[in-house]
Amino acid sequence: MSAFKIFRDLFSHNGEFAIGLVLLLVVLAVAACSFFSPYPPMDVYVVPPDVPPSWEHPLGTTSRGQDVFWQLTFAIRNTLLFGIVVAILSRIISLFVGLISGYKGGWVDRVLMSINDTFVVIPLFPILVLFYFIMRDQMSWALLAVITALLGWAYDARLIRSIAMSLRTREFTRQAVFSGMSTGKIVLQEHLPFVLPIVFSTTMNNINWSIGIEVTLSVLGFTDINTPTIGGMIYWANQHAALVSGIWWWVTFPVALVIMLFIGLFLLAISMNEYIDPRSRLSRLGGQA
Amino acid sequence: MTPNLLDVENVDKIFTRGGIISRRVNHAVNDVSFSLTADKPEVFTIIGESGSGKTTLAGMILNSLAPTSGRILFQGKDLRDVRSRRDRLEFMSHVQAVFQNPFDAFNPLKRVDRYLFSAAQNFTECRTTDEVEERVDDSLRKVGLSLAEVRGRYPHEMSGGQLQRVAIARALVPNPSLIVADEPVSMIDASLRMTVINLFKKLRDELGVSIIYITHDLATAYYISDRLIIMQKGKVVEGGDARTVLAAPQHPYSIKLRQAVLSVDGAWRDDPLTEAVHVVAS
Amino acid sequence: MITELRSIPLSPEMRAPQTAPLLEVDRLKAYYKTQMFGVDREVRAVDDISLKVNRNEIYGLAGESSSGKSSLIKTIAGAIRPPLRVVEGSVRFNFKDGERDIYKLSPQELSAIRWSHLSYIMQGSMSVLNPVRRIKHAFVDFALPHVNAKGADFTSLVERHLKRVHLDPAVLQAYPHELSGGMRQRVTIALATVCGPEFIIADEPTTALDVIVQKGVLLMLREIQQELRSSVLFVTHDMAVHANLTDRLGIMYAGRLVEEGRTRDLFKRPLHPYTAHLISSLPRIGDEAPKKGLEGSPPSLANPPPGCRFHPRCPLAIDICRLEAPPMMEILPGHRAACHVAQADPTRVETVG
Repeated sequence: MSAFKIFRDLFSHNGEFAIGLVLLLVVLAVAACSFFSPYPPMDVYVVPPDVPPSWEHPLGTTSRGQDVFWQLTFAIRNTLLFGIVVAILSRIISLFVGLISGYKGGWVDRVLMSINDTFVVIPLFPILVLFYFIMRDQMSWALLAVITALLGWAYDARLIRSIAMSLRTREFTRQAVFSGMSTGKIVLQEHLPFVLPIVFSTTMNNINWSIGIEVTLSVLGFTDINTPTIGGMIYWANQHAALVSGIWWWVTFPVALVIMLFIGLFLLAISMNEYIDPRSRLSRLGGQA
Repeated sequence: MTPNLLDVENVDKIFTRGGIISRRVNHAVNDVSFSLTADKPEVFTIIGESGSGKTTLAGMILNSLAPTSGRILFQGKDLRDVRSRRDRLEFMSHVQAVFQNPFDAFNPLKRVDRYLFSAAQNFTECRTTDEVEERVDDSLRKVGLSLAEVRGRYPHEMSGGQLQRVAIARALVPNPSLIVADEPVSMIDASLRMTVINLFKKLRDELGVSIIYITHDLATAYYISDRLIIMQKGKVVEGGDARTVLAAPQHPYSIKLRQAVLSVDGAWRDDPLTEAVHVVAS
Repeated sequence: MITELRSIPLSPEMRAPQTAPLLEVDRLKAYYKTQMFGVDREVRAVDDISLKVNRNEIYGLAGESSSGKSSLIKTIAGAIRPPLRVVEGSVRFNFKDGERDIYKLSPQELSAIRWSHLSYIMQGSMSVLNPVRRIKHAFVDFALPHVNAKGADFTSLVERHLKRVHLDPAVLQAYPHELSGGMRQRVTIALATVCGPEFIIADEPTTALDVIVQKGVLLMLREIQQELRSSVLFVTHDMAVHANLTDRLGIMYAGRLVEEGRTRDLFKRPLHPYTAHLISSLPRIGDEAPKKGLEGSPPSLANPPPGCRFHPRCPLAIDICRLEAPPMMEILPGHRAACHVAQADPTRVETVG
C-alpha cells in the first residue's frame, strides 16, 4: 500500500520519474511483443531481405531476411533479461557482503572488504574477453550473466556496508540484540528495509551497466552471437556492412531502442536517488532544505 | 556462600585509534572495581559527564565490549567465557539493558511488539503463541501498560515516556536479576520523567531487580540511588552511600559537580548571580 | 517650541519609554500545513499566543517536546519556511530606531536587522561554526556586514568584545574542533552578541553541555545581557535553568501559552496545574519525598483534545475544562494563567503535586 503511494507520489511530482517510467514501459511493450512474433527468432530468410520500412515491415528487413521489428522484440527481451539477471545476482552478493560486513565489523569486515576492494580494482573488460577466449563455444548467455554479476557487485556492497555500519550504532539494533534476535534476523528484518531504496536505485544503474557490457561484447563478437540480443543485431548488421550499403534501419532502430532503455533506467535511478535523499525529499514536500 | 550478583574487578578499557604512526590512546575506563550483592536488590548509580567512561563501563557489564584488562563476573562467572550464542542468550536472560533515546530504541519501520515477542521466544520457556502473549502482557502490566495498548503500534505513534516503558517491559520479559539503564530519562519530557524513574524504584522494591543507573543528573540520582560511584575521565573518584556522597561530597571533582547543580528552591534569593539580575532589572 | 524640546537631552531609555515592550507577540497563530497525497493536514504548533518581552529582561520559555516552543521561536525570529505558516496575529519589535513588524519586512530588511538588532544562539554550535575554517572567519561572515568597521578596526572590535566576555582573542585563530563543547558555545554566544543586538533568542544553548560547563555558559550569557542591556528569549525545558536565570517565565503546553509571570512568582505560587506539577515533580538533592509523574501523554498537535488541552491529564479538571478553552487571564498582578479552576479559585492549584 505504502509502496503504491510512493509510486503515485513520485509519478505526479517527479518529472524524471514519469518520463523514465514511460520510456521503460515502451521498451517493455516492445519486448512483450516477442511472444506474438510470427517468425522464429533464429530463422533467416523468412522475409525478403533489405526492404526499407513499409506497412508490411514497419522497421524494414535485414540482409539476412529477418523482419527488424520482430527481431528487435526478441533482442530487447534477451538484453533486458540479461540486465535483470545480472542485477539480481549482483544485488544478492552486494547485499550479503555489505550487510554482514557492516553489521559484524571487526575481522569479518576486514576480510570481506579486502575481497570487495579486489573486485573494485579488477579491470573488467579484459577479464570478460579472456573468459570468452577460454570458454569459446561454452560461452552461453547464462554463463556471461553469472560472470558479469560476479564482477559487478563490489561498488554497491561498499555503499550498503556504510549504511549498515551506521545502523549498527543505532539503539534499536542493540534493542534487537537484547531481545535475543540472531544476526541473520537483525540483518534481514531490522537492517534490510533501510537499504532497500538504495538497492532499487542501484539496480537501475546496474541493469544499464550490464546491458552496456553485453552490447559492447556482442558488437565485438565476443559472445554467443546466435542468441538474438541488441548487441548481436548490431554485430550482424556490421558483418553485412549495413550502414555502407544503406540499410540504416538495421542499425538505427536497435540503437534507438537501447538508448531509450538507457535513458529510462537512468532517469528512474536519479529520481529514486532524489527520493532517497532526505534533503531533496523535504524540499519537494516544502520543508527546509 | 552465594557469589555476588556482579563483580567488577580492576577493569580497564583502552581504545587505540589510528595506525602505527599517529596512534592515539584513549584510556576510557581506568581501574574500576565494585560489586553488587545477590541478596539485596539495589539501585547502583554511575555518575559521570560526557567522556567519563560511564557508557563504556556499561557496555562491558552488558558484555558488548570486552575489558582490556581486569574482569567482570556475573554470578561468579567470568563474562569472557560467555561467547557462544547459547551462553549469550543465557546471560541476556539475567542481565538486560534499557537505552537512552526511546525514539531510536525501536526500529521506526517495525512494530514495537516484535521486540517483546522476540524476547519472550528467546529467553523464556514460552513456546505457544498464547504463552508468549501472556508473558509479554505480564511484563507490560508491570510498567502500567498492556498488550492490548501496545500491539501493532509503530514507534512514532507513541510518546517518549510510553516507549521507554515498553523498553523497560521488554527488558523485564526474561525476569532478569540486573538491568543496566544508560541515561534512561535524559530524553524524556519533564512531565513523564518521574513516572519512569519511579518505575525503577518499583522494580527494585517489588520485583527484586538490581539496577545500574547511569546518569549525569545528580538530582534523579539522589532520588533513586542506594549507592553510587562518581567517574571522571575513566576513574572512580568517589563512591559510597548515595545520600551521604551527594549531601557531602569529598573529592574536589565531586564537590565541583555538586556545586554545578542548579538549585530550584529559592534560587532567586540565595544565588548572588540571580540577585544581580533583579537589581538591574527592577 | 521645537527648539526648546531639542535642547533637552534625551537618554535612549527616555526616547524609547520603558513601558513599551521590546517584543510584542499578538494573538499569533502559526500552523504546519501540509498536503500529502491529497490529504490536508494541519498541525497547530502555535495557537493563539500573546506575550510581551520587556527591555533588559531575560524571558524564559518552557515546554516539552512538541509543545510548539521551537515553532514559536522560529516565527519570532522570522525564520518561517513552509510548511510552517503564520495564519493570524503579528510579531512586532520596538527597536531603538523604530518599530518593525517582522512579517511586513522584505527579506533584505530582515537580514539587515539580523545580528545587529536580533540575533540567535542555537543548541548545536557546529551549525554556526564551519568545521574547516578558523573561528575568525565566522566573525567576518556574520558580523562584518553589520558593523561600521573594516580590516584592522573590525579585528580590534571583535577582540575587544571577546575580552569583554572573558574569552582569549586567541580563539579566533582556532578551528572549531580544537575547542571544547563549552568553549564553542561561548564562542557562538560571543558571535551572536558582537554587534550588540537588542534582542537575543537563545534556543536550548546549554542542553548539550555538561553540568559543570553549563553553569559557566549561563553566567556568561547573563553578564553579556546585563552589559548590553538587551533582552533575551531563553528557551529550555530545564526548569532549574529557568529558576536561576530568567526574570519572567512563560510555560507552553500543546501549542498554547498556559502560564506567564515573574519566574519567582511562578515557582513560589504556580497558577496552572501543569506548572504546579512540573515544579513539584522536580527531584532535588536533600529531598527524599516521593515525586509523581504525570499520567497520560502530551496530546498530538494534529488532533488536540477539545477545551483546555491539559484537561485529560489534569487532576483538577471540571466539566467546563472539557468544553471550553480557558482564556489567558491576569489572576495575580503580573501573573497570567489559562485555567478555569485557577481563575475561579487560585488556591486550589496548590493541592497539585
